[in-house]
Amino acid sequence: MRALGLTKVYGRGETSVTALSGVDVGFARGAFTAIMGPSGSGKSTLMHCLAGLDTPSSGQVWLGETELSALGDGELTRLRRGRIGFVFQAYNLLPVLDARANILLPMQLAGAQPDGDWLDSVISRLGLADRLTHRPHELSGGQQQRVAIARALLPRPDVVFADEPTGNLDSRSGAQVLALLRSSVRETGQTVVMVTHDPIAASYADRVVLLADGAVAGEITAPTANDVIDALRELDHGPDFDIGSAADSSVALRPVEVA
Amino acid sequence: MWRITLAQVRTHVGRLIASCIAIVIAIGFVVATLVLSETTRVTMLGAVGERYVDVVAVVTSDPIAMGQVSNESGAEPDSGGLADVVDAVRRLEGVAALSAESETFAQVEVPGRAGTQSVSVESVSSASELRWQDLADGRLPNASGEVAASARVGVAVGETLAVTTYDTAGATQGADGEPATLVEEVRVVGVVDLGADPTASVQGRLFATADQVAAWGGGEPFELRVAAEPGADVDALLGSIREAVAAQGFLGTVMSGEQAAENRAADFTRDAAALTTILLIFAGLAVLVAGLVIANTFSVLLAQRTRELALLRCVGASARQVRRGVLAEAAITGFGASLVGVGVGVGLAALTSAAVGGSDSAIPLTGLSVPLSAVWTGLALGTIVTLLAAVFPAVAATRVSPLAALRPTDQAAIRSKPGLLRLALGLMLFLPGLAALVYGVVYGQVLLAVGGGGLSALGTILLLQRVIPPVVALAGRTVAQFGSLPAALAAGNATRNPRRTAATATALLIGVTLTTAMIVGAASTRATAEAALLSNYPTDVIVSSYETELPDSLLGQLQGVDGVATGTGLIGTEVTGPDGQPWAALGVDPVAGLETARSADGGVPQEGEVSIASWLAQVWEVAAGEPVTLTVESRSVSLIVEVNDASESITMPKSDLRQLDPAATNRQIWLRLDDGLGVDASVRAVDEITDVAGQAVSTASVAGIVSLRQALNSILDTMLLVVTALLGVAVVIALIGVGNTLALSVIERRQENGLMRALGLTRGQLRGLLAWEALLIAGVAAVLGVVIGAGYGLAGTAAILGQVGAVVIDIPWMQLLAVIAVATAAGVLASVLPARRAARTSPVAAIAG
Repeated sequence: MRALGLTKVYGRGETSVTALSGVDVGFARGAFTAIMGPSGSGKSTLMHCLAGLDTPSSGQVWLGETELSALGDGELTRLRRGRIGFVFQAYNLLPVLDARANILLPMQLAGAQPDGDWLDSVISRLGLADRLTHRPHELSGGQQQRVAIARALLPRPDVVFADEPTGNLDSRSGAQVLALLRSSVRETGQTVVMVTHDPIAASYADRVVLLADGAVAGEITAPTANDVIDALRELDHGPDFDIGSAADSSVALRPVEVA
Repeated sequence: MWRITLAQVRTHVGRLIASCIAIVIAIGFVVATLVLSETTRVTMLGAVGERYVDVVAVVTSDPIAMGQVSNESGAEPDSGGLADVVDAVRRLEGVAALSAESETFAQVEVPGRAGTQSVSVESVSSASELRWQDLADGRLPNASGEVAASARVGVAVGETLAVTTYDTAGATQGADGEPATLVEEVRVVGVVDLGADPTASVQGRLFATADQVAAWGGGEPFELRVAAEPGADVDALLGSIREAVAAQGFLGTVMSGEQAAENRAADFTRDAAALTTILLIFAGLAVLVAGLVIANTFSVLLAQRTRELALLRCVGASARQVRRGVLAEAAITGFGASLVGVGVGVGLAALTSAAVGGSDSAIPLTGLSVPLSAVWTGLALGTIVTLLAAVFPAVAATRVSPLAALRPTDQAAIRSKPGLLRLALGLMLFLPGLAALVYGVVYGQVLLAVGGGGLSALGTILLLQRVIPPVVALAGRTVAQFGSLPAALAAGNATRNPRRTAATATALLIGVTLTTAMIVGAASTRATAEAALLSNYPTDVIVSSYETELPDSLLGQLQGVDGVATGTGLIGTEVTGPDGQPWAALGVDPVAGLETARSADGGVPQEGEVSIASWLAQVWEVAAGEPVTLTVESRSVSLIVEVNDASESITMPKSDLRQLDPAATNRQIWLRLDDGLGVDASVRAVDEITDVAGQAVSTASVAGIVSLRQALNSILDTMLLVVTALLGVAVVIALIGVGNTLALSVIERRQENGLMRALGLTRGQLRGLLAWEALLIAGVAAVLGVVIGAGYGLAGTAAILGQVGAVVIDIPWMQLLAVIAVATAAGVLASVLPARRAARTSPVAAIAG
């Protein structure tokens, strides 16, 4: 999966907003990549363009050999059934269907039959075996996200896009979800691209791509949470900025040691 | 996609209930009409065609053809009649029995009743398989001197009737060469039940043997009924009968029993068909309104499912799959509701049949005949209408971008790119519809006007959806000028979400338009009809005498009668018209005449005019405005023609008539009764006038036109009531749509409302805001609806009555203001309950969704 010269401009003339300008980025197969950046950096827009949900103003996106900007709506839709999977921050599931039907949804839309063994293995790995007949409103937030991940993994897509998957979850469920994503990468060679603002979530990834003001601002390989925090601080305020030295503030902010 | 669709329907059954009810009511109406119509037809056929049951062939002579033959040959035809073919047909193989029917007329005296009755006398078949009469009592006659009577005659078995007939057999002749009358006494041996035969109550009927009927002057048989052997080949038999009669030189027709029955019933069923058509027009209106309600409901429902639809698109549902899913949902709902609707319709028809048919009414309804076509029509119509109504919302649903799923807190409104499409479609429906409506009104084509009205209404609604949000905003800003902050906020809300505003307003608009059209249409129809009645029958009471003159004192006496307001006397004589023929003419004082007649167009001639009926104008070959000369002996007078069908032949000013004939005498008195006299008081007044006039001149005749007008008025009232009730069905459907839409749209705004509460709006302020919004939207919709409805109501009146006379526009302003007030209040009320719930919800819960 790679993008070349991706530019996205909203609006026209004086009121135009450049969300992305000339982004070149690539994502290795079988790797867990996180896209990070402060709000307004364009990370969500980048993911939309990469996933074929939005059309860039200029530039190209390749998924393997397929060039996304050349595809029409029908073809993009077919991509989303089998080659691209999604996990969102919330409202992942159709409330009218139970968990099992939600998991099978993309394959049913494609009219394809799921591989029985693979389905069982995904369900058991995500610990959903006893929750299959429940509807989304009967599941906790973490369980809903796990169902969403199962749905995304089932068709064995080329890439799974996760948009702030832990944003709505408590830290325990969030850690569980991130661990599951990582294990799917390790064990089955799934490619996962995650957009997040949470440094801890980013530390689960193999590589972090930093975005600022619509352009790639840096990259961290084998990140730890601290690395990510440092990098973000540099982005926001320039190097050598020490939050704790704001002498005349009555509240002293100190970076928190993360385990 | 099926599983999702079924799951959607199952989960959201509650939200679809309103649409279902709308369909059930509309389809029920259609099916009930169709079933009742078929039941009427079958009942009629059964009653009228009873005599042709079990009859394989009916042979009827053609008197016209026979007349032609006799005209050509100059003598009565000695062949070609039924009597000649009887033997030939009887000998055919496969014919089991034959019956030649003849009839005649007689006067009967019934014991215990004064006066005589006119009855028809029919022959009874000697073959038992061709005896169709149902007996209420006794038996059918077997020999001369016996008769059976229909219930209308009013005799019982065992009584004796004195029957008077003309002896056309010519055995005896009266003094003046006319056939003598015969009086015979016969014994009643049976009473026949004619069932639902519509002619049964018009005249009594006697049944006698063929010989008896012949003795009473029966003449040639008019019909031959043939019964077949069991198992005979019907078609072959018909064919051989045709050959046999043709060989005899017969002039007439041979048809099957069913055909004969249907022919006989055709006249009666034609009227029933006209009534069915009218009922179906109203049913069609109800269906149209149901369709609009469903379209509205679906668009609101789908707007609430934006996130779900976006999610579906994200996980790979193509636009076509989404659209098909929505349409499938509509089809399931439509079919299910239609099924219930068909059941309701049949039930309704059964109830009506039981209620009406049992009683002694003129409408023939026995039992229930449910034609399969009615069931299919109901199912198909309901499903198709629901599908059509859901098309627009389904297409809009496909425009939801998958991105909308990624922004859970953003209430993505469905883009109004179809705005332009809607505008174009609206114009395409509105303009031709309007053209058809105008054409239909001007040329009195009611069906065309109705079709045009429906089309233009659809177009209007589409166009208005663009207009309503800005108008609401404008109204809000105007009210805000008076210092009302909630109004300004409400105005802002309306423009921020035009789809929701338009949907809510549309539902109310449909109901208000219908109601207003009903009110204005009924009022104008009544006013127009009354004006037409008054101009055709302008005088309340006319006292006339053609032989003797009326005494001068009579006018004074009659004016003294209780209930009489004023009167005037008319003189009359015979004048010679421009065609040289003598005609009766009347002279009236123009001023007094106008005071007495109730309409200025009522045939009261002014100075220099003569008022004549249109048929006379045709005979004299004169047109209105032309002069015509009338003479009496050597005197003549020239007057300008005024054509008025209220005039009794010729009416001219009194002075002119006296000039023509100084010896003209009183011939007529016109009387005007007090205004506002009820039906009973009018009848009493007319009775008293009749007494007074009869005492003065024994041959005076009194015409109480006022009674005729009152009778016609009450018929009009009944008709308007029925029409109002029928339209009421459509209004009920529209109201369901209003309640549904308002409730759904407040539910839709849970998040928005929660957000506002979180930002600091108190519960009371939120309720006030929602109430102001409802007020603005309902108010605008009500005013618009009243204006449009008034237009359609007047168009309807003009279409139906335009050919009858000049249309009188009557707009009951007070009632319309009441409609606006009630509609606005209803709109506010319908949003109050959900608004309270919305205000009570905690902000956090609401935002979390």
